[in-house]
Amino acid sequence: MTQVTYQILRNDGKGGVPHFQNFVVEIGETEAILTGLIKIRNEQDPTLAVRYSCRQEICGSCAMRVNGKSRLVCSRLVGTETKTHNNTIRIEPMANQPVLRDLVVDQTPFWDRYRHIRPHLILDPANPLPQGKESRMTPEQVDQFRETPRCIACASCYSACPAVGSDPDFLGPMALAKLYRFTVDPRDAAYHERLEGIQNQKLWLCLRCNLCVEACPKDVRPAERIVDLKRLANQEIGKRERGSKHSIGFLNNIEQGGLLNETKLARDSLGLFGMLGQVGKGFQMMRHGKSLKKHPPIQGLSEVQAIYADLNKPEDIKGRERPVGKGVKGE
Amino acid sequence: MTLSHDVLVVGAGLAGQRAALQAFRAGVDVGVISKLHPLRSHSGAAQGGINAALDPKDSVHDHIYDTVKGSDYLADQDAVEVLCKEAGPTVIEMEHMGTIFNRAPDGSLDRRAFGGASYNRTIYSADRTGLALLQGLYEEVGRDPKIHIYEEWDAVDLVVRDGRVQGVVAMERKSGKIEGFGAKAVVIATGPAGRVYGKTTNSHESTGDGCALAYRAGAYLKDMEFVQFHPTCLPHTSILITEGARGEGGILRNAKGERFMERYAPHFKDLASRDVVSRAIVTEVKEGRGFPDGTVHLELMHLGKEKVETKLQEIVAYARTFAGIDPVVEGIPVYPAQHYMMGGISTNPKGETNIPGLYAAGEAACVSVHGANRLGANSLLETLVYGKIAGQNAAEYAKTAAASTLGQTDVDATTGRIHQLVERKEGELPAKLRAELQSTMDELVGVYRHPDDLINAVTRVAQLKERYQNVHVADKSSIFNLNLVEAIELGHLLDLAEVIVTGALARTESRGAHVRTDYPKRDDAKWLKHTLAQITKEGPSLTYLPVTITEYQPKERAY
Repeated sequence: MTQVTYQILRNDGKGGVPHFQNFVVEIGETEAILTGLIKIRNEQDPTLAVRYSCRQEICGSCAMRVNGKSRLVCSRLVGTETKTHNNTIRIEPMANQPVLRDLVVDQTPFWDRYRHIRPHLILDPANPLPQGKESRMTPEQVDQFRETPRCIACASCYSACPAVGSDPDFLGPMALAKLYRFTVDPRDAAYHERLEGIQNQKLWLCLRCNLCVEACPKDVRPAERIVDLKRLANQEIGKRERGSKHSIGFLNNIEQGGLLNETKLARDSLGLFGMLGQVGKGFQMMRHGKSLKKHPPIQGLSEVQAIYADLNKPEDIKGRERPVGKGVKGE
Repeated sequence: MTLSHDVLVVGAGLAGQRAALQAFRAGVDVGVISKLHPLRSHSGAAQGGINAALDPKDSVHDHIYDTVKGSDYLADQDAVEVLCKEAGPTVIEMEHMGTIFNRAPDGSLDRRAFGGASYNRTIYSADRTGLALLQGLYEEVGRDPKIHIYEEWDAVDLVVRDGRVQGVVAMERKSGKIEGFGAKAVVIATGPAGRVYGKTTNSHESTGDGCALAYRAGAYLKDMEFVQFHPTCLPHTSILITEGARGEGGILRNAKGERFMERYAPHFKDLASRDVVSRAIVTEVKEGRGFPDGTVHLELMHLGKEKVETKLQEIVAYARTFAGIDPVVEGIPVYPAQHYMMGGISTNPKGETNIPGLYAAGEAACVSVHGANRLGANSLLETLVYGKIAGQNAAEYAKTAAASTLGQTDVDATTGRIHQLVERKEGELPAKLRAELQSTMDELVGVYRHPDDLINAVTRVAQLKERYQNVHVADKSSIFNLNLVEAIELGHLLDLAEVIVTGALARTESRGAHVRTDYPKRDDAKWLKHTLAQITKEGPSLTYLPVTITEYQPKERAY
């Protein structure tokens, strides 16, 4: 048992100024941070508002920011924080969602994005699932779900994501990981429609900062699933979609010259007409010393190209194709 | 203000959502109120699997027999028959809704062994089957926004008038507003009441709200004295370690290294029914063969890292996080903790209670399919099979029932009572009374029940009920006032605890999970009957109901 200071951001939800309040809690280092919050509610201040239920990392109720990072407090242990933060645990509500009171946030924006991806199987009426029998799935088909079935919708990733706050169109890590789960489901018949539905900012705003991967308590690794979606989108609808064209253009750019050529990239992504709208940005770039001239190829370009060749070997491409075996059979 | 629906479902776990879906499919207007977001329901914490005799070499009859034997012959066999016959179609339906189950190499649904089962018939999704089913069902329900789900609303009163149910009065957490939900039929599916105990695998929100509301409104509660203690839970936190761990080959050992279950259940060994294994563990520890921390060990090391880390992924994480133990290389310390209430709101196999228009399903209900002891992986099955049945019958009832008379007077009555509670200036905090209730139940109403302890528990619960009259809500806010919510929940827990201890003291035999040290034998002549509890001013009044026996005559139970 040790004395730990819980520094909690209080917010009455009625317009009062949010402020930190300190509580000193007797608690063991191997106990969950949630246990301390419950102790505070039971023994010091029953007015502390906080969501929690299962206390075992499965109901997804108790995500909040702990010393600045989005965490599920039931499975985050006291000792993991106190050692590096001078025996203090600073607790704030999740980000990217309005606060209702204290540590309780309004999750409407999170659930709206989840619903946007049509989170249910879409079946092909012409090709129904086997009647009265389960649909068969090969181990390879099951493997494609990766860790997405573990998602408990706690919104830790959503809270950690910097892109969610910058564009309301971006679907965010949880919804996109969920979308991936349906996109690769062999029973689902809306493969193309699902990838069509996430053009531009909805998908491509993810900059792969990996904060969602760090925040996820269930190792769902949303950023990696977003990369998978981008790859599938490139294959399925690449030529018609700005985000895809940008990423393909980027790739080709490096392969051809070893360095990024902004002018060429802009043309690849936006097309000539699209570029006209970006003339102002072109001047800005020049002012900041970004040359719009064509760079000469870098020295050692052949080594870069060798990496490309290596990555495109048949055995590496395997697993980067369309999901294996869409469609299921009964027996 | 009042809202109205043809069918109102209280609770949005598996039973509640399945009932809502079925009522909707039957063509009536459906509302669901739930104190949690549906995906946060405790159904999601179920780990091991769902039973269905899907394999051609298995049989529905064997599933029925195993369930009846597991129940120590207290289950109603007509209800068990429905459960087991519907199991296959139910699992297939969930698969078609999108549930992701584990697969055998040939692509079919994989099956694992489970306690008390004579055949490997437990379909599973790693060790998070409840979560997989909950996701699948929620996705299906979410297809149609016409099923209106009121999230984070606490049911506070169940209104029964003119000989039938009229609806529910509920309070919204985010605003504190109190509204009436008129309904022609109500389905209670509020799940477990495990927080009557402190040492429980159940979530903090498992406070038996609907069960207590129905009881107060005049519904019978059935067999509440039968409380299941799951054999393998982590010490301190009581976090569940699935029976699936033993289903995959895990072995229990005492501190002397003995596989002690060979002595208690020579045939089924570690996969005997839960009551048997829990008693064995308590006995081993009591007789000095436990580890110094008062546990036995569940060993998985011999199964290999790959199998343990994939098929038992969640419990490996739990053991590592909450017990600092790596099951790949060392035994997991375990001890029994409260896990499941076999009892609940008394229903017949149609999901009907004794109150017209009131239905119940899932852990809040008692049909009874589990009798005196539930078999593992039958509870997920029950939620879906009987959730569907209750939803269907509630819809049929609503189609011909008159409109609800629930109105502003009902809302005002509840509002007045809540205001009185919040405005009280002093008294004891709910957390204090709750802690005393939980330690009472932990210490006095456990795996083995001594008559003196039970008498003591009856007195203590009565005293706590008295003190509860003066419970103090320190939080005065209208926004997310959890102090108020826990005061209301505590009232529910106290009512249910009273029924549990009263029933346990009255039942002078040992059957399934109810074991009396002074009456160590099952007594079919006197006690092959269900306990029914009905509320009176003097407390629960007990009557008894015969058990429905169709095919399997009671005989001695051995594993």
